Amino acid sequence: MMAETTNTIDVTINKDVLVIGCGTQGLEAAEAVAAKGYKVVLVDDADLPAPAANAIEVMANTKVESLAGLAGDFRTCLANGSGRSERTFGAVVVAPRYGLAPLNEAYGLALNDKVVTMTQMEALLDDGAFKETLVQGEGKSIAFLSGFGQEGDPAATSRVLEAALTVQQAGNSRAYVYANNVKVGARGLERLFTQGRNEGVVCFKPLEKPAIEQGDTLKIVINDPVVREDVELEPDYIVVEEAVVAGPENLAFAEILRIDTDLDGFIPSNNVHRFPANSNREGIFVASQPADAANVALRVAELLDNGVRTVAKNAAVVDENKCTICLTCYRCCPHGAIFWENGIAAISPVACQGCGICASECPMDAIQIGDFTDEALTADIQEAVASVSGTPSIVAFCCQNSALEAGEAAKAFDAELPQGFRMVQVPCAGKVDVEFIMKAFVEGADGVMVAACHEGNCKAERGNTFAKWRVEEIQKRLETIGLSKDRLIFTTIASNMAEEFSMKVRMFAEQL
Amino acid sequence: MIVAERKPFDEIKNMVSGYKKVLTVGCGTCVAVCLAGGSKEVETLNAELNLAFGKDKIEFGAETVERQCDMEFLEELDSKVDEYDALVSMACGAGIQFLAERFPNKPVFPAVNTSFIGVNLDVGWYEEKCRACGTCVLGLTGGICPVTMCAKSLFNGPCGGTNQKSCEIDKEQPCAWYKIHERLAGQGRLDQIIEISPPNDWSNQKPRKIIQPGYEERVKALGR
Ligand code: SF4
Ligand code: SF4
Ligand code: SF4
Ligand code: SF4
Repeated sequence: MMAETTNTIDVTINKDVLVIGCGTQGLEAAEAVAAKGYKVVLVDDADLPAPAANAIEVMANTKVESLAGLAGDFRTCLANGSGRSERTFGAVVVAPRYGLAPLNEAYGLALNDKVVTMTQMEALLDDGAFKETLVQGEGKSIAFLSGFGQEGDPAATSRVLEAALTVQQAGNSRAYVYANNVKVGARGLERLFTQGRNEGVVCFKPLEKPAIEQGDTLKIVINDPVVREDVELEPDYIVVEEAVVAGPENLAFAEILRIDTDLDGFIPSNNVHRFPANSNREGIFVASQPADAANVALRVAELLDNGVRTVAKNAAVVDENKCTICLTCYRCCPHGAIFWENGIAAISPVACQGCGICASECPMDAIQIGDFTDEALTADIQEAVASVSGTPSIVAFCCQNSALEAGEAAKAFDAELPQGFRMVQVPCAGKVDVEFIMKAFVEGADGVMVAACHEGNCKAERGNTFAKWRVEEIQKRLETIGLSKDRLIFTTIASNMAEEFSMKVRMFAEQL
Repeated sequence: MIVAERKPFDEIKNMVSGYKKVLTVGCGTCVAVCLAGGSKEVETLNAELNLAFGKDKIEFGAETVERQCDMEFLEELDSKVDEYDALVSMACGAGIQFLAERFPNKPVFPAVNTSFIGVNLDVGWYEEKCRACGTCVLGLTGGICPVTMCAKSLFNGPCGGTNQKSCEIDKEQPCAWYKIHERLAGQGRLDQIIEISPPNDWSNQKPRKIIQPGYEERVKALGR
């Protein structure tokens, strides 16, 4: 299946796409991907509406039980009432499910028949009997609270404006909106807002959270910044906003797919080096926003193309005579690019991003990374130390995604750098091995610096964290040997921080 | 696998001081897997020793064989050890002894403390599973070792200290015999629990765990 050319190989990959979890986002993503000409299988563990495109195979009440393999060759087990089936896909799209949590406590309110959630009010407005009460007698006054319990967003704003408009259009009732920020940054929202205003929806934008009394009657007091007076209202209903929370299914998806979540359990985890629809694993995409469908389709097409991928041959190569299949690399690879086959670890050239974390963690030194082989880096270190006369000599291992650019810029701007300062380029701080740091000291470096991306900003997700742990560990070892641990430092830097970088280096040199 | 921890640096340093040329021998199997004595640990230890002694005082060589507990692999060293006046082994106690046996004229020093037979919980994190008691009772105990997990290593338990799933020595320590009862009941072979195994006369501790230095944070981050 692999045809070799010089430094690249062509890999044949599977072109089918699995979309997990339905909802609007899943459906739209499935249709967008199908429109690019790929065969799509849409699964959901509940019932599914039939999608418009008939190139989509729908599997309702189906669970993804397991997922093995890598981009271009994901092997899944799909289970439903009629049994299990093994299916292979080139790419996987997941449409995460969200839940809603009422924020009544942020306003000091208890939910009851007069204080209701947005979801409850939407249900009431769908109910003929309730709508009747909006028309009868004096009608009702309904107050909506938005954006004080959380930073609002267009989706939440849109629900408030829709409901307020429905109330107002009933004829005899009045809708009041208490909004912190009216976020209208989505298509049609500005129009919805204006239409509401024209129909008589009253909108307050108080500077502080409204003071609300909840007794036999309800009372809202605000200071209106326009008329500069207290404004009181005794509404019949108060509608509280809701926060979007990650459903427990998110964690289950993440575990099966071996992708990261953010701290709140949302997928994908954030990473500035990545397109929003990408997860930390190549070939697994996330459609969570309305805009994602098109992006997902684009990324899927980029990956699968016509079913043949040309990839670098030597991104990361395992030496079969050295590998003891200890599985360290498999457990440490942030991109899930490693599996094992025929008694040794195997790295997928499609999924590997060349960060080198695996190579640094391998206890047998069995992995070599493209342009950053152990031999090449050892030579770089020797060269760095040898080219210095006078002291202090400083070897700085610089991540090419951040510190290296900062350092190059510092040089270009003629920033003041110590005489003995030398940079050694690494693909990611995660490639900085315990051995390399020790090597630099043994060769005679006075100080060693490991410069990585800021926390949470590492292109390889955890390369900076691994580097930091290793530095801390070697500092301990230096002390045990009887050397100062201050000869080794770990620092984080962004590529546009040339001035800060040169300052850090100067401070380090002084302290040596 | 066999789990080991590297010895304190000063201890290793004291053992080799006074020699001129020392060969550090790693083992590519258990001790490499538990990140204590593989090729990387050999290089790192040599670098540390180099720094401590100064580059010229003692010359350190490095070799890592697939397994020090196999004579065929030790044979690969035959042509190399002559020029050294001492050997440091990073294998488990078995490997170290085999190396010493292969080269009886050379002083051999251990660079690790062999700790236990255990399993891999995550990178750098291990748990003891077996005390190699020589009278394996796992067939009667639903595959759960009472020698390792039970604080008294009771072959016929539980004792009176079993306390709502826990052992009396520590709430965090599960009672081995509670677990054995549950496992056997689940498999419908509870009748076997009353079969008597001749008692072993051992005093014991609860299972030990090792997190290799440098991996504490990772284990903490995993929240386990
Ligand atoms: S870390 Fe090294 S020895 Fe372990 S499985 Fe990976 S390549 Fe093999
Ligand atoms: S270089 Fe990075 S992405 Fe590639 S296999 Fe190794 S750890 Fe994974
Ligand atoms: S010498 Fe010890 S650690 Fe090495 S393979 Fe043999 S038993 Fe395992
Ligand atoms: S009883 Fe436990 S300690 Fe003894 S040999 Fe069996 S498994 Fe090992």
